Amino acid sequence: MKKTAINLTVNGRSRDAVVPPRMLLSDLIRHELALPGTHVGCEHGVCGACNVLVDGKAVRSCLMFAVQADGCEITTVEGFSAGGLDLVQTAFWEEHGLQCGFCTPGMLASAHELLAENPDPTDDEIREAIAGNLCRCTGYEYIIAAIRSAARKMRDAETAAKRQPA
Amino acid sequence: MKPAAFDYERPNDLAAALELLSCEEDTRILAGGQSLVPMMNARLARPKRLVDINRLPDLDYIRDEGTHVAIGALARHRDVKSSRLVRDHLPVIPAAYEWVAHAAVRNRGTLCGNLCHADPASEMPALMLLLGAEMVLTQASGTRIVAASDFFLGLYETAAGPGEMLTEVRIPKPARDTGWGFEEVGMRKADFAWATCAATMRLDGGRIAAPAAAVAGVGDRATRLAELEAAIEGQAPSDSLFADVAREVAVSLDPPSSVGVDAQYRRDLVGTLLPRALAAAARRAEEAKQ
Amino acid sequence: MASHLDSNVIPPSRQRETPRSGLTWIGQSMKRVEDPRILAGKGGYIDDVTVPGMAHAAMVTSPHAHARIVSIDTSKARALPGVIGVYTGQDLARVVDPCPSFASPPVPQHAIVLDKVRHVGEVVAAVVAEDRYVAEDAAELVEVEWEILPANVDIEASLEATGDAVIHPDDRDSNRALDESFQFGPVDEHFAAAAHVIKRRLRWHRSSAQAIETCGVVAQFDPISGSYTIHANTNFYNFIPFVIGGSLRVSPGELRIIPVLAGGSFGSKVFNHKILIRTAGLSRLAGVPVKYIEDRVEHFTNSDSHGSDRLYDAELAVMEDGTFKSLRFTVLDDYGAYLQFGVGTHGNAMAQVTGPYRIESFGMRVIAVLSNKTQQGPYRGFGSEVTNWVMERMADAAAKELGRDPVELREQNMIAADAFPYMIPTGNIYDSGNFQKVLAEAKGLFDLDAWRERAKALRAGGRCVGVGVATCMERSVYGPTEWWSLNNRETPGFTLTSTPEAITARVDPSGKLFVTLHSPMVGNSPETVVTQVLAERLTVAPEDVVINYSDSQSGFNSVGPQGSRFTAMIAGACVSASIKLEERLKRFGAYMLQRRPEDVELRDGCVAVVGSQDQKKTFAEIALTSSFFRLSFPEGEEYDSGIDCTAVYDHPISTDPDPERKHLGIFYPIVGHICHMVAVEVDPGTGKVEILDYAAVHDNGTIVNPRTLGGQVWGGTANGIGTALSEQFLYDADGQFTNPNFSEFAMPTANEMPRNFKLGHVETPSPYTEYGVKGGGEGGRLGAPSALTSAIEDALSDFGVTISSLPVTPPVLRGMIRAAQASG
Repeated sequence: MKKTAINLTVNGRSRDAVVPPRMLLSDLIRHELALPGTHVGCEHGVCGACNVLVDGKAVRSCLMFAVQADGCEITTVEGFSAGGLDLVQTAFWEEHGLQCGFCTPGMLASAHELLAENPDPTDDEIREAIAGNLCRCTGYEYIIAAIRSAARKMRDAETAAKRQPA
Repeated sequence: MKPAAFDYERPNDLAAALELLSCEEDTRILAGGQSLVPMMNARLARPKRLVDINRLPDLDYIRDEGTHVAIGALARHRDVKSSRLVRDHLPVIPAAYEWVAHAAVRNRGTLCGNLCHADPASEMPALMLLLGAEMVLTQASGTRIVAASDFFLGLYETAAGPGEMLTEVRIPKPARDTGWGFEEVGMRKADFAWATCAATMRLDGGRIAAPAAAVAGVGDRATRLAELEAAIEGQAPSDSLFADVAREVAVSLDPPSSVGVDAQYRRDLVGTLLPRALAAAARRAEEAKQ
Repeated sequence: MASHLDSNVIPPSRQRETPRSGLTWIGQSMKRVEDPRILAGKGGYIDDVTVPGMAHAAMVTSPHAHARIVSIDTSKARALPGVIGVYTGQDLARVVDPCPSFASPPVPQHAIVLDKVRHVGEVVAAVVAEDRYVAEDAAELVEVEWEILPANVDIEASLEATGDAVIHPDDRDSNRALDESFQFGPVDEHFAAAAHVIKRRLRWHRSSAQAIETCGVVAQFDPISGSYTIHANTNFYNFIPFVIGGSLRVSPGELRIIPVLAGGSFGSKVFNHKILIRTAGLSRLAGVPVKYIEDRVEHFTNSDSHGSDRLYDAELAVMEDGTFKSLRFTVLDDYGAYLQFGVGTHGNAMAQVTGPYRIESFGMRVIAVLSNKTQQGPYRGFGSEVTNWVMERMADAAAKELGRDPVELREQNMIAADAFPYMIPTGNIYDSGNFQKVLAEAKGLFDLDAWRERAKALRAGGRCVGVGVATCMERSVYGPTEWWSLNNRETPGFTLTSTPEAITARVDPSGKLFVTLHSPMVGNSPETVVTQVLAERLTVAPEDVVINYSDSQSGFNSVGPQGSRFTAMIAGACVSASIKLEERLKRFGAYMLQRRPEDVELRDGCVAVVGSQDQKKTFAEIALTSSFFRLSFPEGEEYDSGIDCTAVYDHPISTDPDPERKHLGIFYPIVGHICHMVAVEVDPGTGKVEILDYAAVHDNGTIVNPRTLGGQVWGGTANGIGTALSEQFLYDADGQFTNPNFSEFAMPTANEMPRNFKLGHVETPSPYTEYGVKGGGEGGRLGAPSALTSAIEDALSDFGVTISSLPVTPPVLRGMIRAAQASG
């Protein structure tokens, strides 16, 4: 089978791979690039566990071929925590926004996308943003609380940064 | 659940893409992939070759063309949903998009790809019929324009031939005082619709003018309701009128029965949702007058 | 007066740590110890496991519900480059024996079928290849010739099947796998004396847990030692070697099961022995380590964890004044094609079948029906979620027929707060409770009176708004007699009575408390619970507790999280370990302080002289000295180096079933109580249900961590909402499973959840468990379906609709409304 050489930036690092066309992006990330934090729950694009950020947008990595990510910038859960747990992860910890943690990386990707576009979302906007991420453990309430809290933390951090003299 | 092997091409310009499409059988276009890839993962679809059009330049536009809005082959659902232009002139589209999949799927999926997939329970084909859109089909030898009413032929079947690409959708801008309504029921909000009903109309001296109505999820393809439109045109809007015409539509339909969702239920939904959509359209048309 | 329960004597409590206020760590919403690594994407789930030389398996599965295999041709698959081997059931049978069965007599099951498939998705051959893609390519190339047999889909029709429709014709001549009747107390007398006999036919349809992670295994056979090393996401890793060793033809000691973090279980990862056996066998046949991860469709169609699928004909004997006197029913349960644990899900339900009510006798006939569907397995509630619903349906039905207020009628029949421990007719006890207090709390939280007024007013205005109330039991901490107590008495099978939980603990020379667990994390909070209890009991800081997991060769005596047992059981093991460690710390510490052990106490991570502020030794000092300076202590074994211990905690209070089954003994005695109240609106034109308001009050005894308990209640309630409104496995007449995917099996998303969920707690501590802890992992699903059903029925009261079947999807509800409109 013909393979294609690709190059992509994953969590800030340039990565090369040689992939057959049919390899799913989720498999590339997990098995070829050895970043198992991205999870696979259904492989038909419904559960959202495999959500990653591709050029800043949350996408189902099970519905994209690895070869399509050539030249893209990808952020996975490992990228969010490169410098320790980030504000969103910390909020999930504090608010008990996870139980088994299997849906969490996808939830984090959706939350990051939401908060990048909408720093002060309503609960219904949060709900809508994570409605494409199935969780069987939490009943979602503490996830919503976590994203609400993360939004506040990020706004506070922004305000504090602005107050800092240049 | 892994796809079968296929050949992959990623042309850099439209001409190359059309050339690739024209020269081999069993080639599929890969745009957003949000319908095609799940089917490939389940091996329900196994094209021999994919032509990935995602790197084609200048096809992701949403453009004001005066009389109509032109949407290119690579415009993502997300962009159409949030487009100011679309919201201003075609507000029923973002309203319907609330029911289309979830954010991550809308980030990748394209309007044109969705239309070519022609899922009978999908919202956008019904809206294209409702709005009288035109499909620009391009192949190596040239371009033809097909009305939405001639485009959707059946279950997952469209007028796009082998070698043709839906490069643009042209959606006429309705008159500014057009009201709209959109109603849908599925198991969950983003699930495939058991029934979708959409309507637009104007009010002219308190009488219905230029009515349009379409349904999806209740047959092998989305359907425009010409008889209903004729029956309400020139009438004063009322709940009883809408209930009566919807009842006739519901009776005339032959919706599919599946395990757990019978045909009668889908008929009932049309009987319930269509009047609501018509009433909402009338109400908005009334508001637009003020 | 003599009673059938006279021989069931309640043993004395073995509780050592009494429930009390003023605890430091127990009762705190401490952030979970487990979370940082999981949040960083480093949890370590089964598909993250890679071993050198590992190959990948894919399955050839049955497209038919019931068919004989005429022939299998694997030649094309074997010829595909990258394929290591292709194996049929006959091949696997060279190295593997049939799967274990707790049913008695067993229903034989093979990890790959030999000659016949009994449900869609059953495995007929397996491919081992260099990668999963190639393995799936090869699986498609396996050619099977089938002889189609009649499919059994309907629960009642299955019982009448003959000839080719019989699913296991070599073992039994019908699809009736078990048919047993029980009378606990004078049922017939009570029914004869009743003023009203309420009758209902009630149907509970099949669904399953569908954790977001499927089941998976990485197995490696070592031909030199003849042993297996297996990574698996089973809940059961220290127990399952004894279950599957026989099938793999090795002693349990030759099976090393290495646990991983499991991505949710809700029961579905308890009995996953079939893929363990199959994958292990494949690794032996192929001569390479093999990874097999179920894809979602395989998890739906072949994971042996489908939930209850029952048809009840139930009767409630009610006295003139509304007293519930006796309950009896005949229940058919469609178990699918096999019967891995017999009717254990009905055994479970016997723990609380009469609900929170003083019902004096109970009778049952239970018929296990075989069908051409996937085998049942555990699912949050393990059968009790259904009897809770049946009991609450009967309570509502009684209220309706007697013209009584349903809440007031429930209150009238509730067991009084001073009547505990209370023995129900089946012999199980309710250790403690205050159901009236829970109900009162819920009424306040929900504002029941206001909601009822509002619903009535809205209904008068033509809206379909209703209010539902459920008052249910949440049994916790099971004893294993539930698995076999309903089996035929002559052939009861493996009648085990132990389901312990253990920890190993050591104070290391740096002063850290290293703890080894012998059960995995599956989404519960084992490390957090252990940290909180040990910090409490040993006065150490939580950050000084370090937790690890054993494998099955270094671990022992633990059964793991199921049946809402883990928190109570592991708290017991922690207390046992603490007592042992305390004794040792005091002995060494006292010697170092030149005091007697009885003169010192544990205080802030030190052994300190009672009454003295500064005369103390830190645990680090003591452990360091005891670990490295043997000559600093006297002769004698009691001063052997190191501060460590192993501690096992057995079930806190259980008894054997009566040999004649006059009662079933005490087996599930640590009971919580839950009250759910919900307001809904139904759109009569579409059948859609909107939840307007929701309140849940749970009494789970002493709460170790309010936030994690809240998460369980929320999650369970979401699960119960799905069960009630949208989740159902749908089969067509040929036995095709029509919705085995996440698009069509509709689990609630954030959009489907109530917007204003209110959670309340009452704490009635258990007199039997340490600190009075009770389990709380299932309650949401044990209450939500009943409350929602009542609310919907109330909302549709103007249509006269009676709900006797779950789930009530929009098409189902609309159908009921349409029928009512047509007749009315």
